[in-house]
Order: sequence, then C-alpha cells, then structure tokens
Amino acid sequence: MAGTEGEWEGWMAAAQAGDARAYDRLLRACLPFLRAVVRRRILDPSESEDAVQDALLTIHQLRAAYEPARPIRPWLAAIAERRAIDRLRRHGRRQGRETPIETFGETLAAPAANMAEQRLEAARLREAVAELPPAQRTALVLAKLEDLSLAEASARSGMSVGALKVATHRAVKALRKRLGGGAGD
Amino acid sequence: MARTEDLIGDLAAGLRPVRRMPGPGVQAALWLVGAAAAIGAAVLLHGVRHDLMARLMLPQEGAQWLAAVATGIAAALAAAMLARPDRSARWALLPLLPLPFALAWAAMLGLGCLEDLVRLGDRALQPRLSMGCIRFILGLGIPLGAGLLLLLRHAGPVRPTPVLLLAGLASAALCSAGLTLFHHLDAALEVLVSHGLAIALVAVLGRALGRPLLMRAPVAAG
Repeated sequence: MAGTEGEWEGWMAAAQAGDARAYDRLLRACLPFLRAVVRRRILDPSESEDAVQDALLTIHQLRAAYEPARPIRPWLAAIAERRAIDRLRRHGRRQGRETPIETFGETLAAPAANMAEQRLEAARLREAVAELPPAQRTALVLAKLEDLSLAEASARSGMSVGALKVATHRAVKALRKRLGGGAGD
Repeated sequence: MARTEDLIGDLAAGLRPVRRMPGPGVQAALWLVGAAAAIGAAVLLHGVRHDLMARLMLPQEGAQWLAAVATGIAAALAAAMLARPDRSARWALLPLLPLPFALAWAAMLGLGCLEDLVRLGDRALQPRLSMGCIRFILGLGIPLGAGLLLLLRHAGPVRPTPVLLLAGLASAALCSAGLTLFHHLDAALEVLVSHGLAIALVAVLGRALGRPLLMRAPVAAG
C-alpha cells in the first residue's frame, strides 16, 4: 500500500474527469490492496483472482458514485469484499451440483494400455493447436514448442515482442479452456 | 497473473469521463422534494379533509402523521446512504428512530379500536380493508419507489436488498402520511390494517420486483 495520503483519491477524482493515465495508475496501485482484501475470504488463487477482476469491473461501473471528499480505501475494500462473497456463493452453488470424479493415474496394469490414452491426449492437443487463430498458433509454436527467445521469435515471425507475449498468453488460455484444463480453472 | 493487468489496461484505455453523482444526502433530499410535490398534488386533487387542522392537533393523530413522515424521510436517507459501498450498514437502523412514534400510533389506534367497539359494537371488529387506502398507497407508492430505485441504481452491485426494501418503505410511508390528509376513516382498525398492509406490500414489492431497476454486478469472464 504505497503512496502518500490522498494520492489514490486524487487519481480517482481525475479519472472521473476522464484522465486515463491517473485511472491506470490508481488501478495498478490499488491492485495489491484489492488482492489482500479478497484473499482474506478466498484461498483458491484462481478463484480469488477472478473476484479481484470482478471488483475492478465494479469499481469501473460505479466510479461516478465515488465521493472524492471521502477516503477511497474503505470504498474499494467494500466493493472487493462484496465481489468475493458473490464468488464464494456462486462457487458454493456449483459445488452443490457437481461431484468431483476421482482421477486415477493408471487405469490398466499393462503400461502399453495406458499409452493409448496418452496418444489420444496428444492427438487432441494437436487438433486444438491447429484450430487456434494463425497469430496465436505461430506465437505458441515459436515461443513454447521451439523454445526460442522472445527476440528470436519476434525476428522469425515479424510480430512485436508485446504482440507475441499477448498471443502466447491467449493461446495457452484457449488451449486450457478447450482441453478442460486441469491446471487453474 | 497477467490477465488482471490486461484488464486494467483495457479499462483505462476505454475510460470515459463521468458526471460525479451528488452525495447521498443530496440525492435523498432531491427525491423527498419530488415525492412531496407528487403526493401534495394528489392530496390537493382529492381535496384536503375539512377537519384536517382539528384532527392533526389531536395528539394521537399528530403523532401518527409525524411518525409516517419521519419514517419516510429516514428510510429515503438510509437507502441513499446504503447505496454507497463505504457507508456504514448501521444507516439501515435510521428508520427505526421514529419507532416510538409508530408504537404510540399503534397504541392509540388500539385504543381507538376499543372506542369503536364500545361505540359500534362488534361491527367495529370486522376486518375490513379500505380499498381506497390501498389503491392510493400502491398507485402512488410504487412509481415513487421506482423513481427512488432508479436514482439509487448504483446500489445494485453493492447492497441491493436493504436499498430495495427501504425505497419501498420510504415511498409507502410518505404516501400513507399524504393519505391521512384527505381520507376519512373513523374505524381505527381499518386504518391500522389498510395502511399497514399497503406499506408492507409496497416494501415487499420493491424487494421482489425492484431488482431490474438497479445496475447488475459485472462478472469477469473465465
């Protein structure tokens, strides 16, 4: 929680007037604070990060209702708290409906039999990669599969380093979603 | 997690200037002025009862009227306060302040019922509803409550339920006070049941149907 007294409040007042840079600065500065508030309620890291994002969206939606004469931290904390509780409720409802199925590492005694499953997984992965948008596919192949550095990958593909980072990130996310990702959500 | 930083970039890049909302006290005052004007107009339209001053001077009727008005003002202010995330949840207790008045009112009405019983016999205890009362409180209370909810629609992502209830209470209590200014009802039980029922109905309707008037809480994808 860095920053001098009244700094965040000043940034928010400027953001209300349309100052995008002050707004960007405020949201980045208050992010650790929001995360701390949410993590008091939600331990699961990906679930709590989702709640932090909900809180950011709510802050954005309600920015006209902030009164600059009042300290902003209680305002931010109350919003983050609210969104954390909402996530917990939704999560609770979901868990009430679903029963986790235990995953067994090995289903058959013969090692070769399990290989079929692995081959199937690989095929699914190849299929999913093939279906990514071209930019994402290129970025993923260069950066992750061929293991090039960002600078090399940028030279090979003609994409900027920033664009590569974004595309790789989106590609991984899309794959995870498509393959019903075990990691994260 | 890079995704959250991306989101911040998107939000800042798409920032539009907004007009800052007036403070909650000002919002409540604005609505109260509008509601008083609307109710005042309705009362004038029906014609003030001829014995109004004499009736309001009676301690029980004066207290009753003041309790209704105070409840309406307190509920409107509490709703406006609770619509802001950082205001104390204790504001919800404000409409209880006129409770002594309200209790006095109920007690007086209770006495009134006994008087009626003596005067009219068991006819006084037949539970009758005054449809006129209910129609007035619903007919004016619902649009006024809806107006308050629209003014406080920012409560949606933060504290919707108490604001929905308080907005209904605020408008119904004020309408009930307005109604007293022109409506002739002599059987106290009828007043108690009709006003009480109508106020409860408007508050419950606010809770049940008011939700779409408020903003919806945003949910991040993923």
